[in-house]
Amino acid sequence: MTLLEAPARESTGGGLASAARNRLQQLLAFASLIVICGFFSVASRYFFTYGNFTAILFSTVVIGTLAIGTTFVIISGGIDLSIGTGMALCAVMSGVFLVDLGLPLALGVPAAILFGGLIGLVNGINVSVFKIPPFIATLAMMLVAGGLALVLSDSAPIYFTDVEGYVELSTGSLLPGVEFPNAVLVLLGAALVAGVLLTKTVLGRYTYSMGSNEEATALSGINVRKWKIAIYAFAGLFIGLAGVMISARLGSAQPATGMGYELQAIAAVVIGGTSLSGGKGSIVGTLIGALIISVLNNGLQIMSIPQEWQNVILGCVILVAVYADMLRKKET
Amino acid sequence: MKARKIGAALAGAAVALTLAACGSGDASGSGGGEEPYIAIVSKGFQHQFWQAVKKGAEQEAQKRGARITFVGPATEQEVEEQMNMLTNALAKQPDAIGFAALDSRAAAPLLNQAQSSDIPVIAFDSGVESDIPATTVATDNKAAAAEAAKQLSERLGGEGKVALVVHDQTSLSGTDRRDGFVEWMKENAPGITVLDPQYGGGDQLESTNITKSILSANPDLDGIYASNEGSAIGVIKGVQEAGRDDVTIVGFDSGTAQIEAIKDGRMAGAVTQNPIGMGEQLVDAALKALDGQQLPKAIDTSFYWYDKDNIDDPKIREVLYE
Amino acid sequence: MEPLLEVEGVSKSFPGVRALSDMRLDLRHGEVLALVGENGAGKSTLMKLLSGIHSADAGRFRLEGRPLEVTGPAEALELGISIIHQEFNLMPHLTVAQNIFIGREPRRWRLLLDERALNAKAAELIERLGLPLDPGAVVGDLTVANQQMVEIAKALSYDAKVLIMDEPTAALNDVEVATLHELIRRFVGTGMGVIYISHRMEEIKAIADRVTVIRDGEYAGTLDSHATTTREIISLMVGRTIAGDARPEGVRDDRPVLLEVRGLSTKSLLKDVSFDLRQGEILGFAGLMGAGRTEVARALVGADRSDGGTVTLRGTPVRIGNPADAVRHGIGYLSEDRKRFGLLLDQSVKANISLASLRERFATAGFVRDKAARARAGEYVGTLRIKTPTLEQQAKNLSGGNQQKVVVAKWLVKDCDVLIFDEPTRGIDVGAKEEIYQLLNELAGQGKSIIMISSELPEILRMSHRVVVMSEGRVTRVLESDEATQESIMHFATLRPDENPEDAAELGIDAGPAGSASPEQARKAGRS
Repeated sequence: MTLLEAPARESTGGGLASAARNRLQQLLAFASLIVICGFFSVASRYFFTYGNFTAILFSTVVIGTLAIGTTFVIISGGIDLSIGTGMALCAVMSGVFLVDLGLPLALGVPAAILFGGLIGLVNGINVSVFKIPPFIATLAMMLVAGGLALVLSDSAPIYFTDVEGYVELSTGSLLPGVEFPNAVLVLLGAALVAGVLLTKTVLGRYTYSMGSNEEATALSGINVRKWKIAIYAFAGLFIGLAGVMISARLGSAQPATGMGYELQAIAAVVIGGTSLSGGKGSIVGTLIGALIISVLNNGLQIMSIPQEWQNVILGCVILVAVYADMLRKKET
Repeated sequence: MKARKIGAALAGAAVALTLAACGSGDASGSGGGEEPYIAIVSKGFQHQFWQAVKKGAEQEAQKRGARITFVGPATEQEVEEQMNMLTNALAKQPDAIGFAALDSRAAAPLLNQAQSSDIPVIAFDSGVESDIPATTVATDNKAAAAEAAKQLSERLGGEGKVALVVHDQTSLSGTDRRDGFVEWMKENAPGITVLDPQYGGGDQLESTNITKSILSANPDLDGIYASNEGSAIGVIKGVQEAGRDDVTIVGFDSGTAQIEAIKDGRMAGAVTQNPIGMGEQLVDAALKALDGQQLPKAIDTSFYWYDKDNIDDPKIREVLYE
Repeated sequence: MEPLLEVEGVSKSFPGVRALSDMRLDLRHGEVLALVGENGAGKSTLMKLLSGIHSADAGRFRLEGRPLEVTGPAEALELGISIIHQEFNLMPHLTVAQNIFIGREPRRWRLLLDERALNAKAAELIERLGLPLDPGAVVGDLTVANQQMVEIAKALSYDAKVLIMDEPTAALNDVEVATLHELIRRFVGTGMGVIYISHRMEEIKAIADRVTVIRDGEYAGTLDSHATTTREIISLMVGRTIAGDARPEGVRDDRPVLLEVRGLSTKSLLKDVSFDLRQGEILGFAGLMGAGRTEVARALVGADRSDGGTVTLRGTPVRIGNPADAVRHGIGYLSEDRKRFGLLLDQSVKANISLASLRERFATAGFVRDKAARARAGEYVGTLRIKTPTLEQQAKNLSGGNQQKVVVAKWLVKDCDVLIFDEPTRGIDVGAKEEIYQLLNELAGQGKSIIMISSELPEILRMSHRVVVMSEGRVTRVLESDEATQESIMHFATLRPDENPEDAAELGIDAGPAGSASPEQARKAGRS
């Protein structure tokens, strides 16, 4: 309601203008996603099919989940490099809980997700209490998690063959009547929860606030240290979720995987308009960013573009996305 | 300002599309017609070995009037990426699929999908635990590693201490090449002590460092076995940097550096698979399957021991890649 | 009636510096008290004590008669003391409402934000204060003046009893200042008190009821602002007894001009800055914080882009596009922040001294000739009397004065003829200051031309052959050594031609609708 009153006041109407601008930017990202899809639809007759669209969504699940979690960290002005190998560690932990310890699904899966939160908690404490720069703290965690994943799994994949219903978490189809993988529902659910938390809760508000001006936030009487730990720990839950989703899809926990996922997730976040210097970003944007990456990967492969060129094109897209964002910033 | 923004977006799109267009030139140009299309999803892409498989497949496809695409993840750990690639390959409704599984169980649902759309699957490099593939075109890695063990043991006179530098502890090729070697030694060479295997990820520098630490910890070491091209080059470098010339090195695969080392005696020899042949036989098997011909359960692409003496043998020459 | 806020006998020391000593102040209900003092007089330390960032060594604070003890920013706010810092403490990406109530958001079920209630609360507050703000606007998009308003709304939303404003008008224009003052008068009417820190005399006279002057960390006096003249306030501000009565050495007016700067301008601040630097003289640059002294130096050596202006060196025009060009022409800039811009703290004295001339003097084909570097560094350690146990000592282990000498040595090795010292004695203790002064005099005596930027008036008077006084990006006057006094410098440093037609008239600048200059008010203090 205040929004409606605003113009009546003798103000610049800045609220409406900036809200409109934010919306425009998201529209722009969404529009480029549509344009890319349109291009591939014309270029290949195999692209525009229901089966291929679900395949694209399916392939977005793991990176998308990681990217959603790390959006919080990046908006708060930090960075998390441990999400890739952390995910592998959580996948292994899921194997440990469900296969080695034989816990029931309803216990083992939450435990694996919480283990991700634990990884995030340690990151948060290192960054916030011990004042280790996030880049270094999470780089170290990346190595620790990658090594632990190998140790705990004896360097061999853990198979979930005997765990009833685990693979269905990802590949099953809960929606009646249509072929729609559960994993995509999980991703959308996670995005919804994250979106609500980011825009509607205190945690989200302080995430923006710290990324925007940490010192001012502290001077406003907010316990920056505590909230920073909370943000990393919360983002860690998504590491755990991604670990569950990747191992459910593959039917196995691959201990050596995960390296490089962090960079793809960060790329998705950046393409989605989140600023690496903090203070700005959205879950919808991140989701669109992750989708742009998946669509490009999928479309270029379907067009039979040689693999060497696929990375070149992906890199160019990231450059353009970030450059456009900088142009936008210069305007204000 | 708005115009500038849209301009930037358009420029970006233009770059992407231009690249896409030049990239797609050869593939779609020759596509068009009725020739059968085989989508190959491999375990890797950048390594010389996979490039040689790709070359063999391309040669055979050209000869037989077929069209192929060849993709693979950046490292042999990226199982999920390979699943996405296989999904995308299936979306193109190919006539046949060539598939080298990183984790064969993970691929089961996709292989079922191929089967239900009547797309024959040819497994290659390593087997798939499933009866869906029409055949498996592969080398017996364990037997090849045993051959390397035998050759090393012979050169050391059945006595001494040997070490292993292995490229990977999780993939099947890594464990087979490790186990084949260790098991042969255990059974046939009681006089030889085998140290615990060390893993260098197939990375040359990493393997070099590992080799040097093995040598300083074991000055009495007599031989080293390297399980792939990257490991072998690393081991050669490591021995050289440690200033040792009394260590017998046997390796795996080929490649320019390894061939050079064998020629000038820094390396005793290596077993090689026949990657070019593997690519050729893969395409051959796929075309036969399309014709409805019966295929044997497994097609062995065999392996070869090569050293200074037989390296110029035309038969060996043929299977080595540079 | 007892005062709202009382400060009594407060002292605070930092390592090596006595920031406050026996400071006192009292703020009454419903008044605006201006707090004035030179740069570094201790105003900001006092603020930090009140906001709980530091704690006092001695003395007591009382709020409404009760003892006041503040342990942190959050507590200060709770007790009713709000501070608006010169650097805004706002989150640019958040909206006005979100900024005002950061940390105190209305919630539902503890965790969920109630955005509607937040905006309504903010709208109500803004309405009450009569501010021209939209609660939903993103703060980063607002003008500086409106951001200031947000800070005020935020400060008042805590039900502040005492509001402290540090240079609130530094970035505002006249209309905005008037709006701000009107706002202050409105909320002061409700019985709260405002401490208004400012350099601008006419503003103080317009808004403040009383003026408390702080000098060298000590209470200097409190005046009724309406009954006192600006001159009286200034003389109370600067009226300290200068230690000793040393005067500049070697003042002559027949020195040839070495460097001529004409019409130097930058987009952000400088307007038509012109001055001459003569061979072997020390040219002081005086002015208040933000007057543009450092900016002149940075534009001159090409560290910042200038929009216009010419530089002539020994009669030939030169183009200086970046600091490397400046060094090539023999102009060296010694930054006020030695530790960030002047020294490699972890490197040795030798490495620091030879750094700038490493390639030309101490290297053959890329290889450092360590012996030559060491010899040369040793030489300067001797002549500049740098106290260091060895040439290998890390720069961070030297005292401030010796660090400064190391920087000087670096530029001397480089054969610079023009040395620009920005705050040469900042952070250097009193005894060592004299050493630096002596060094500057010696350098000038050897024919080096020196620009000395300083915020300390005694230092300017003690050293400068001539003084360039700046205000708001302009050179308001170049004073000869014998006409430079604390009063005259302060007078020209506080002229504001852009806002004040009288000041413009005095400077002979045509500033818009100036025609009504009233000469009877002309302050001639500077023209003795």
